[in-house]
Amino acid sequence: MTTTVLEPAIHGDRVSLLRVLGPAHVWALGVGIVLVGEFTGWNFSADKGGALAALIVCWIVGLLYTSVAMIDSEVTSTVAAAGGQYAQAKHIVGPLMAFNVALFLVFAYTMLEVSDAILLGDTIVAKAGVEGLTHNSFIAATIVVLAWLNYRGVLMTLNVNFVITAIAYISIVILFFSVSPWTQGAVLKLNELVTPGNALPYGWIGVIAAFQFGIWYYLGIEGTTQAAEEVRSPARSLPYGTMAGMITLLIAAAMTWYVCASLMPWEYLGITYYPLWDAGKLTGSPLLENLLFIATLLAALASANGCINDAARAWFSLGRDRYLPSWFSAVHPKYRTPYRSILFLLPIALAFAFIADLNQAITFSILSGVLQYTFMSINIMMFRKKWPLGTIRRGYTHPFHPLPAIVLFCLCVVTFFAIFLGFGSQLIAMTIFYFLISLWFHFYRYKFVRRGDQFTMPWPKPQGY
Amino acid sequence: MWISLSYACWGISVVLALWMLYDWFKVDTTYSEDVLTSSREGELEAVSEKHRI
Amino acid sequence: MSRYTPPEQSKAGQVFDIVVVVVAIFVALWLPLKLGLAGAAKSIDALDAKTWEALGQNPTMAAIWEKLGYTPETAHDVIQNRFHYVIDWPTLIIMAAVLIGYFVFLFRASDREYRDVISEKFDDK
Repeated sequence: MTTTVLEPAIHGDRVSLLRVLGPAHVWALGVGIVLVGEFTGWNFSADKGGALAALIVCWIVGLLYTSVAMIDSEVTSTVAAAGGQYAQAKHIVGPLMAFNVALFLVFAYTMLEVSDAILLGDTIVAKAGVEGLTHNSFIAATIVVLAWLNYRGVLMTLNVNFVITAIAYISIVILFFSVSPWTQGAVLKLNELVTPGNALPYGWIGVIAAFQFGIWYYLGIEGTTQAAEEVRSPARSLPYGTMAGMITLLIAAAMTWYVCASLMPWEYLGITYYPLWDAGKLTGSPLLENLLFIATLLAALASANGCINDAARAWFSLGRDRYLPSWFSAVHPKYRTPYRSILFLLPIALAFAFIADLNQAITFSILSGVLQYTFMSINIMMFRKKWPLGTIRRGYTHPFHPLPAIVLFCLCVVTFFAIFLGFGSQLIAMTIFYFLISLWFHFYRYKFVRRGDQFTMPWPKPQGY
Repeated sequence: MWISLSYACWGISVVLALWMLYDWFKVDTTYSEDVLTSSREGELEAVSEKHRI
Repeated sequence: MSRYTPPEQSKAGQVFDIVVVVVAIFVALWLPLKLGLAGAAKSIDALDAKTWEALGQNPTMAAIWEKLGYTPETAHDVIQNRFHYVIDWPTLIIMAAVLIGYFVFLFRASDREYRDVISEKFDDK
């Protein structure tokens, strides 16, 4: 059923997104978005709490995201629609929640895209070291070229993502093995750099504060669900690609921490924008230095690419249900992409890439991400209650319910507290924004929405209604 | 070299942005709005997935 | 219940709604930047003696700093730039109240809308 749809649609036909992706593309979408976190961002958690705190949050936040991946795989292998968590919220919690979740998604991904573009621009400027060179042209090129790629079709977009993500990932592995990780003292000097005296410079409060940027090790893995309408077999590919992605990332995070913490003092690690590139430099090998430079650029590209893909799909779904003007729900008849959403988000991303700095863009992204994870933990509880196991067909059923949901919820609370320690007023400002726009939606915009049509899954009536 | 790369980046951005605008205009004038916005959520499920347990 | 037919929105109305959303996004993201709310409280605990020992760096660390192009003088502002974690209770309580209030509103209003959706979808046939 996927072989015939490649020809352009004719008048009178229906145009929908194209089902062409396999599990490898899901992996590339998920890991592609996230892997940049190893090249920048995670290390700010060392700034917040020291090198050991960065490792502790790497594991604990890894647990948070394993819960996210498990929960997400179950719900999304059942609610397979573009928009991912948005469609989940719409079927399980209700329209207003769905509207908010879609905004979380669009914000998290667009700001992540902005961060990637800034990182890429800054990396090139740092490498060039030329007087008067600014990052603006590189930012513009990144955002526009990737938007163009996304405009031209999802298959090519994610094929590219697969290749560049794989190269970036392999470069971390190469770095890891070329510093002889099995012997300390030759290149790596972990026990001299992380001493009992400086491992936790702020004590345990620093560890909690570090949660904020610990999120950055994995932020975006849940984006795999956005591809639900474009994978050939969502019930199989989505859980498989997401879980494989999570395992890949846990390995990468551990290797990255080990190499970086063994090569630079935590005070420097916490402020650099290029921890892995710096690690490459500090090994003294020009080959590794250049490899990690290129890998940083590729990781940023892969991430921005996936983010454009995901943000556009979330925005597209909002239009399709008339939560926003239905104009956005247009699908390109030839390339089968949500082209108007891609074009609409492009100038917004560009504008923020020019006015915000990296730290702030990352924080915006993290805030929206954590709001979304809080929703997910409650969502899965409601999902199991409204449709208990056995009442509908699930592509994947996650084990130990409700433990992952409870773990996820508790870790979200801790992360909110961590954000409070650094960016409390910003969190309040953002929540007020979401609150106001929710009022706007609930009391005004919702009147344009067709009620029953929003529920598109062929499920029985939920229990308790 | 880096400065010329920077100009090349501006150039590529402008060209691709113009191409997208051109294509957008072309598509919007060639196809009717009903066709373009005819995608519906959950079509696959309704057609191919039989919810038997 | 009877089937709800939404009003058709005019072109101008659609454009207006898009503008509202875009303006809201910009205000939410840009205002905190403008007001200087973004960014954590970090300040430099200045030291008089600017040597690697005074900065708490052992010879291995000092060698790496030097490889990265730092001297004790330039590294001083990096190393001594510290967070000062203080729990500001009023802000914490406001933050918790805003978050909880937001989520409670979200779930309650969603549930009200959801009941309409379910009854139209399942009871109407």
